[in-house]
Amino acid sequence: MAALQDILQEFHRIAASPQELLKSYLGQGKKVVVCSPVYSPEEIIHSMGLLPFGTWGADMEIREAKAYFPAFICSIMQSILELGIKGAFQGVSAIVVPSLCDSLKCLGQNWKYAVPGIEFIPMTYPQNRNTDYGKEFTKAGYQRVIKDLERITGETFEDGKLHKSIEIYNAHNQAMREFSEYAGNYGAITAADRNAVFKSAYFMEKSEHTALVNQLVDALKATEPGKTKKLRVVTSGILADAKELLAILEDNSIQIVADDMAQESRQYRVDCPPAGTALDSLAGKFAAMGNCSVLYDVNKGRASYITELVQEKRAEGVIYVLTKFCDPEEFDYVIVKKACEEKNIPLLQIEVDRQMVNYEQVRTAVQTFSEMLG
Amino acid sequence: MGEEGKPKYVPDPNSAKAKLGNIAKQHYDNLWVAKEKGEMIGWCASNFPQEIFQTLGLTVCYPENQAAAIAARGGGGRLCEVAEGEGYSNDICAYARISIAYSQVKDIEEQNMPQPDYLLCCNNICNCMIKWYENLAEELNIPMILIDIPFNPDYKVSKEEIAYVKGQFLDAIRQLEEITGKRWSDEKFKEIMKISNRTSKAWLKATSFCKYSPSPLNGFDLMNHMAVAVCARGTLEAAEAFELLAREYEESVKNGTSTFRAEEKHRIMFEGIACWPHLRFTATQLKSRGINLVATIYADAFGFIYDDFDGLIEAYCNVPNAINLEHARDKRIALVRNNNVEGMLVHVNRSCKLWSGFMYEMSRQIAEECSVPLSTFDGDQADPRNFSEAQYETRVQALTEIMEANKGVR
Repeated sequence: MAALQDILQEFHRIAASPQELLKSYLGQGKKVVVCSPVYSPEEIIHSMGLLPFGTWGADMEIREAKAYFPAFICSIMQSILELGIKGAFQGVSAIVVPSLCDSLKCLGQNWKYAVPGIEFIPMTYPQNRNTDYGKEFTKAGYQRVIKDLERITGETFEDGKLHKSIEIYNAHNQAMREFSEYAGNYGAITAADRNAVFKSAYFMEKSEHTALVNQLVDALKATEPGKTKKLRVVTSGILADAKELLAILEDNSIQIVADDMAQESRQYRVDCPPAGTALDSLAGKFAAMGNCSVLYDVNKGRASYITELVQEKRAEGVIYVLTKFCDPEEFDYVIVKKACEEKNIPLLQIEVDRQMVNYEQVRTAVQTFSEMLG
Repeated sequence: MGEEGKPKYVPDPNSAKAKLGNIAKQHYDNLWVAKEKGEMIGWCASNFPQEIFQTLGLTVCYPENQAAAIAARGGGGRLCEVAEGEGYSNDICAYARISIAYSQVKDIEEQNMPQPDYLLCCNNICNCMIKWYENLAEELNIPMILIDIPFNPDYKVSKEEIAYVKGQFLDAIRQLEEITGKRWSDEKFKEIMKISNRTSKAWLKATSFCKYSPSPLNGFDLMNHMAVAVCARGTLEAAEAFELLAREYEESVKNGTSTFRAEEKHRIMFEGIACWPHLRFTATQLKSRGINLVATIYADAFGFIYDDFDGLIEAYCNVPNAINLEHARDKRIALVRNNNVEGMLVHVNRSCKLWSGFMYEMSRQIAEECSVPLSTFDGDQADPRNFSEAQYETRVQALTEIMEANKGVR
């Protein structure tokens, strides 16, 4: 168990220190590119010898960003801009912002003027993505990113190198899926532990992260899961990152057995398929992605994806972690709620915000949910 | 009732106002006739390329128009609450909440329209449209066609974007033929493109009369007439009515008359969608201070001018909410300059994240470039709860004082 705890500690250390890590990467002469939610093409950045560094904002008070965003834009966008204005990303080469929701479109436009020292690179994805013309447009978006990266960093793109990076990212996907699978069955893995493993992925080179995750999974395999009386729950939403929220889940004996979170498993469900070129392969991955509030889905497959996940993982309920002002998630909630009702799956919606200070309402709701199901 | 004896205002039946009013009314009447005849009805996004369904001869209606009408007639709050009762957050666009609520309630006094058999969505105004229509499609179990026109981070539309939208355009035609059994005709398409251009040109010509001082029109008229630019752009009646409107404005300029029934002391650009539930209050506050609305990007949003198929697609890629800050800013700067705008009143619209999300920065740049004062107010296009009369009045007063000071009127 000692080894397991040591590895977990390492994930916690990494997840808790993005600023220090970024400084250290820059100090080592690495060229870093910030990747904003929801799906930045990290593989391309990685293949050009640059370090993709993910951000989902931070729990903080918003001050400077208020001059750019009205209050009803989600706090993930607000806090990313706030971090940028306050110099948290100083020294990086650029930021990539995919415009998959209306607020992300605005983040890119505001960034140009709020953080003039760090160049904004747009990534424009198609919503009708799984068609020939959709894939071509995805590739055109990638080519635009490549052109900008080459101009800004002086590095060059080669399809062969992208192929190698895709292998690294596919292996990472596999490792993350395996971790999620194991973690759900080990009562000792808390919601905060799980978060640290997923969050740290954004701050590390992926092959290094894969190695650490594989160590963790090996350590888990060597440990008896043990009998746990914790409540088995599936989480869904954009992100569940706040320390207070994670503590509340643990305090109420909630075990996350699987997730449908944008910051977590949605990143790792789909691998790049084999294709003629590596860029085609990457476009193929985006084409195959789904079950996500910012990706067009006329069949609302996400709702049945969640209910099937609940059944498959023998979960007892769903916690829908709604990021305030995230309208894609707010729309999906109603459909997910109905799907859960049809299957008699208990569902709790909690609203979170990166500026939230008081979690008592969330605590009460989780407590009631837990008692109801316990 | 206190109103007895006061004759109801009836516009001259030969006036553009009456004709445009009739087209809007006829639009809804025709929907019911079509429904009764057993025709399939589509619900359609306001900026969906209407050339597609006009060519196919389909009957569609516009949830955005309907939501605006409902909100203007006082039903916005009630329907928003119906949607909220279903679990929709009150942070969601009020048009979407009203529309989704209407799809369940189905019969209201403010503005009915037939329930849809299919949905035509286009996200060149916002991605919120996609979610709204996805939910309608799921709840009503009907097909949805999406023409995805992504937000363009660059100033110009790329050939890759044109190719992507064209691919969808052709797919949409094929899908609609399957859904409705109607057949595409290239000849008809050419004809529709011709009429649409004629309507758009007439509409843009009419709106361009705002450049005259004093303006021959009360800018709020445009907000009303716009409904026709949305729902009947591909029809001859609309083209003729807008041409008549332009002629009337031309005549007014010559005669020195205006539909702005006050002395035009100040000329402003209004930014954003109108606060439909508070239209009278917002308009009166301006009028009472002699402030006329002489520029709004919203009016031009429905003027699509093009020469060919690629040009048509490019026009739909260039609608105000699909373009980057610099492009959006420069269009407004041109409006401010052409129309002698003296101040900007910006509606920070809680319903519209995209329109409001980079509005602060863009407005600052326009105000600075054009040396005009800027005032913002918080509101909502259709949820009456997100607006404060006191705040609006204070902000308008502040703007007025700066405009007066600039003129040395004090």
